[in-house]
Amino acid sequence: MSDPTSIGLPDALRPKHHRKLSNYMLDKNLQLRYVLLVTLLSAGIAGALGYMIYDQRRTASESIERDLQVLTQSNAGDQEFQDHVSNGLQSDDQLLVYKMVAVGLGLVIILSAYLVIMTHKVAGPLFKISMYFDRMAAGRLGAVTPLRRGDMLQDFFSDFKDMHEALRARASADLAAMERAASSLRDTRNQADYRGEAQGKLDDALDALDHHLADRKKQLA
Amino acid sequence: MSSEKPGKPGGDRSYKRSWKNLLINKRYQLRFTLFMVGVTSLLMVGLGFWVMRVANETTTVSKASVRGEACPQVPVLGDAARGHDDDDPPPPVPSMKLDEVPDGPTGDTPSPAAAPVEPAPAAEGSAPSAAPAAPLTDKAAAALPTGKADAPPTSTVDAAGKAGSSPADEPRHVTVQIDESSMTLTATVPPDFGARVVAHWICEIRQAGTFERLERGRARILWAMIVTGVLLVLGLAVYGLKMTHRVAGPLFKVGLYLSKMRAGRFDKVYNLRKGDQLVEFYDHFKLAHGGVVAMQQADITRLAAVIAAAEAAGAGQHPAVAELRELLSRKEKSIE
Repeated sequence: MSDPTSIGLPDALRPKHHRKLSNYMLDKNLQLRYVLLVTLLSAGIAGALGYMIYDQRRTASESIERDLQVLTQSNAGDQEFQDHVSNGLQSDDQLLVYKMVAVGLGLVIILSAYLVIMTHKVAGPLFKISMYFDRMAAGRLGAVTPLRRGDMLQDFFSDFKDMHEALRARASADLAAMERAASSLRDTRNQADYRGEAQGKLDDALDALDHHLADRKKQLA
Repeated sequence: MSSEKPGKPGGDRSYKRSWKNLLINKRYQLRFTLFMVGVTSLLMVGLGFWVMRVANETTTVSKASVRGEACPQVPVLGDAARGHDDDDPPPPVPSMKLDEVPDGPTGDTPSPAAAPVEPAPAAEGSAPSAAPAAPLTDKAAAALPTGKADAPPTSTVDAAGKAGSSPADEPRHVTVQIDESSMTLTATVPPDFGARVVAHWICEIRQAGTFERLERGRARILWAMIVTGVLLVLGLAVYGLKMTHRVAGPLFKVGLYLSKMRAGRFDKVYNLRKGDQLVEFYDHFKLAHGGVVAMQQADITRLAAVIAAAEAAGAGQHPAVAELRELLSRKEKSIE
C-alpha cells in the first residue's frame, strides 16, 4: 500500500489515493471478525428459514402426490399422468432449492464484499494513524494529511491531528527558544570574560546543542 | 469509562467493563451494530414472509386433502324405515288395474272380475298379499298385522253380481267405495344404523381435529419465527455493542492519552484490558508515545548540559540560561 502519510506536495497537487482491492483487508483480525460474524449469521438465518420453506413446500407436494395417487389408483391409464405431475412437483421443489442456494450464495458474497468495504473505512484510518505513530516513534513530526472522503473515525483522527500539531508546534517553539538561547550564550561568550576550561565545556555543549537542534529541524520538516 | 490512574508499575491494571460505559463511540458502534441488526431483521422478515406464504399453501393443500377423504353418510331414518338401502331395487309399483293379479303367494286365484284391489305395501315385514281373494276389508286387516294397522275396515268393494254370474254377461264396471282410514307406521331401524352414525361422527371429529392441528402448526411456525427474530435482534444488538466496544474502548483510551499529549503531558501508558481489540494499533501508539518521551529526554539531556556548562562558565545568571532552565523544568515535568 502506498504511504498515506506521504507529504511533500501541497494538498491540491498531491495525488489522490484510490482504494485498491488488494488493500481492502488492512486489519484482518478486526475486519474478518466482523465480516465473518455477520456473514455466518446471515447464512445461518437464510439456511434455517430456507430449509423451513423447502420442508413446507415438500410437504405440500407430497400431500398432492398422495391425493393424486388415491384418485388415480383405480385407473392404470392415469398412472402416467400421476408420474408426470409427481415429476413436475419434484422438479419444482428442486428448482426452489437451487434458487434459494443461489440467492443465499449471492447474499453472502454481496454482504461479505460490502462488509469488507465498510470495515475498511475503519481499518484505513487506523492504518494511517499507525503509520504516523511509527514516524513519531522515530522522532519525526511531519505534517499530517487528512483522511479520505468516506473514512470513518473522523473524530478520532481529528483528536490525533490536534495532538500531532500541538506537539509539532511545541517542538518548533522549543527549538526556536533553544536556538535563541544558544545564540545569546555565544554572543555573551564573545563579550564576557569566561574562565578557560569552563569556556571550552560551554562551547562543546553549545555545539552539541546546535547539532541536536539541526536534527530536530529535520524531524520537524 | 474508567479514568486513567497510576497504579501498579507493571501497567496491567484490570478494569471491569461497565454496562453504563458500553456505548462510548456512538457513531462507530451504532453504525456497525445497527447494520448487523438491520440485515438480520431484513432477512428474518423477508424470509419469514416467504415461509409463511408456503406454510399457508401447505396448510390449504393439507386441508383440501383431508376434505377429500369422504366420511360415511349418516343413514336417513326414512330410508331405513323403507327397509332398503339406496342400492336395493325399488319396491314394485302396485298396479292400478283391478283385474291384474299381483305377484305373490296366492292360493286360490279368483276370477279376474273378482280380483280385489291390492293395497300398496305399507312396511317391511307386512304381508301384502296374504288373502288375495278376500274382500279389501279383510285384506287390509291382514296386510297390517300385529296391531300396526288398527283401523276399521278401510274399504268395501261392492262387486255386484260377482258371485255366480258369468263374466261375459256382466259389465266389467265395478264400484269401489273407499272409506276414511288411517295408518300408523313405525320405522324399523337397521341393525348397523348406530355403527354408521358413530363412524360418520368419528370421521367428522377426526377431520376437525386435523384442521385444528394444521392451523396450530401454522401458528406455531409464525410464533416461533417472531420469537426467534425478536430474541435474535435483541441478542445481536447487545452482542454488537459489546463487540464494537472492544474496538471503541482502545480508541477511547488512546484518545485520552492524545489529549494529555496535546496538553504536553506524557504520562506512563498502561496496557489494554483483556479481550480488547486493536492490540497492534495500541502497540504502535505506545511506540509513538515512547518516541515523543525520548525526544523530551534528549532535549532535557542537552539543556541540562548547556545549563551546567553555562553555570560553570559563570553565566548562570544570564537570561538565556534562565529561559533554558524554565524549558528544562517544563520538559522534566512533562515526563514525570
